Amino acid sequence: MLMIIDRILLLVYRNLVAAIDKVFLIWQVAFPVVYIFVAGYAYTAMMGNQDIKIGSLSVTYTSFLTAGMIGFNVMNGSTVAGSIIWNDKRNGMFQQLLVMPFSKVQYIIGNLITIILIGLASAAVIIIIGFPTMFGHVNITLWTIPYTVYSLVVGSIFFGSFTITLATKIKSSEGYNVISNGLFLFFAFVSSSFYPAQGLPEPLYVAFYINPLTYIVDISRAGIFSHVNGFTNIEVIIISFLAATVFLIATRSMVRMKI
Amino acid sequence: MCKSNPVSMHKSEYCISVSNLKKQYGKNNAYVVNSITFNVRYGTVFGFLGPNGAGKTTTLKILTTLLDPSSGSVCIFGKDLVKNQSEIKKRIGVVSQNPSFEANLTIERALDLYGMLWGLRDRKIRKEKVNEILETFELGSIRNAKNDELSIGQRRRVQVAREFMHDVDLLFLDEPTVGLDPSARRLLLDYIKAHVKSGLTVFFTTHIIEEAGYLCDEIAVIDKGKIIAFDTPAGLKQKYGRGDKTIELTFKDMLDKSFIDLLNTTISKREVNGEDNNNKNNSRSHIDVNGTHMVRITVNNAEQIMAEILQLVYINGLNIESIAINPPSLEEVFLSIINETQGKKMANE
Repeated sequence: MLMIIDRILLLVYRNLVAAIDKVFLIWQVAFPVVYIFVAGYAYTAMMGNQDIKIGSLSVTYTSFLTAGMIGFNVMNGSTVAGSIIWNDKRNGMFQQLLVMPFSKVQYIIGNLITIILIGLASAAVIIIIGFPTMFGHVNITLWTIPYTVYSLVVGSIFFGSFTITLATKIKSSEGYNVISNGLFLFFAFVSSSFYPAQGLPEPLYVAFYINPLTYIVDISRAGIFSHVNGFTNIEVIIISFLAATVFLIATRSMVRMKI
Repeated sequence: MCKSNPVSMHKSEYCISVSNLKKQYGKNNAYVVNSITFNVRYGTVFGFLGPNGAGKTTTLKILTTLLDPSSGSVCIFGKDLVKNQSEIKKRIGVVSQNPSFEANLTIERALDLYGMLWGLRDRKIRKEKVNEILETFELGSIRNAKNDELSIGQRRRVQVAREFMHDVDLLFLDEPTVGLDPSARRLLLDYIKAHVKSGLTVFFTTHIIEEAGYLCDEIAVIDKGKIIAFDTPAGLKQKYGRGDKTIELTFKDMLDKSFIDLLNTTISKREVNGEDNNNKNNSRSHIDVNGTHMVRITVNNAEQIMAEILQLVYINGLNIESIAINPPSLEEVFLSIINETQGKKMANE
């Protein structure tokens, strides 16, 4: 078991050192920060400084958006998992790693841990940079912060497995980019990342809750604003089940992939 | 099934043992590898040759755990390959036909990372190993370059060099010298030879047949998924060369058509008279004229026919600059094996 963990950690190290483009990592953090400070203040002004309701809690739009960007960023960062596979396939390293003492399952887990680390690190940076926007609303407690961390981890597993499945199924990198970008656009804007689900027309509300990103963002936000309730726990169960299912699909897809 | 002692690495024992190996992609498709059986001894170089699409790469993929066999058994280091993949993979190195590289890293950094992935944890030892490899493979001048800044030959050299970052007992080389210039090619082959002397076993595929002759202790020729010949390079030459030799004559004078015709008649006469070593049916005697001063005569009875050729030369008043009698090259033997198999197949059809 220790040997397996050791191999997975080696793959994670390799991903961080060799497989991920540094410019992408910078963009990964810069992109949500631009959203927070540009879209956040622009929409706040447009809405006449109106607060957003999260259950009984009332927060400014910028703090709502900053908290949402953490979950949103997890989804964005997860594209790395698929990109690692594509780059490794293109550069011949996928096959090379598999003739070394690494298995396909270890390779997948290594990729997922990589994006979990990226997700957590970028979430920390977003919280630090975006803290002024959330000042007065953030209420992180030992009881609620695990919800935020859990949502980031499970979110990374869900979206990472999702992009891994796409990367193993789609035959060209262009096709992979078009499909993943298209789907992620839907995930991003039909979710509670940018606006609350409460008060939406019913079809849109249903679409929000078909979207796994809504659960991830809701749970992460509940942790940050200390607003955990029964519905949050139901969301935890749903997203955990979905993540486990997609992880199994990704593993199966990877194991069956022709080399 | 796997009988040999996994700890012992004696030359009399088998490092790789393949029995009735079959591979089929999809139930209704033909077998890409069809019941092949061979053994590779420890501390030897085993050449696996065959034309394109013969089943070489599929076999290699099975032996390196990338593909599962459809049936048959493969034992490596005395252990069943399917059941002990992880253990076996720790002791093998693979240089695949396709390029593989870390695009974002310099050569030095990539070698260091490769060493780390192979379990070389000590940074100092890794650094020493990297420097040794860079020096041995003459890569020092490009240590700070990235892969896309290298020529094809340099990339290939890095790919091969990388496998020596860790200790391997069995090295799979799939066309390792493609893109290398002759000196780099010889450097690599000699480096491998030196490692084989110290116990390394090598499974080697190549299209450059002379390389196989230079490096391999035993050669298997595969065609259409079946092994059609298996022997030492000398054994293959003896078995499939059928005693053919090439007489290479270089003249000081320019050759004319009438002399070539006379040579042809002399050789043909021997065949008709059945003097060609009783090998009439399979005779492949022929003459190739190379330029205006050189002629190559391939015959089965070079020593016997030599006197007649020299007499012809004397009668025609020609002056010889040099004479050489050469045994068949491994390439000629390889082509002969492939052609013979295809001929037999066509005859059966």
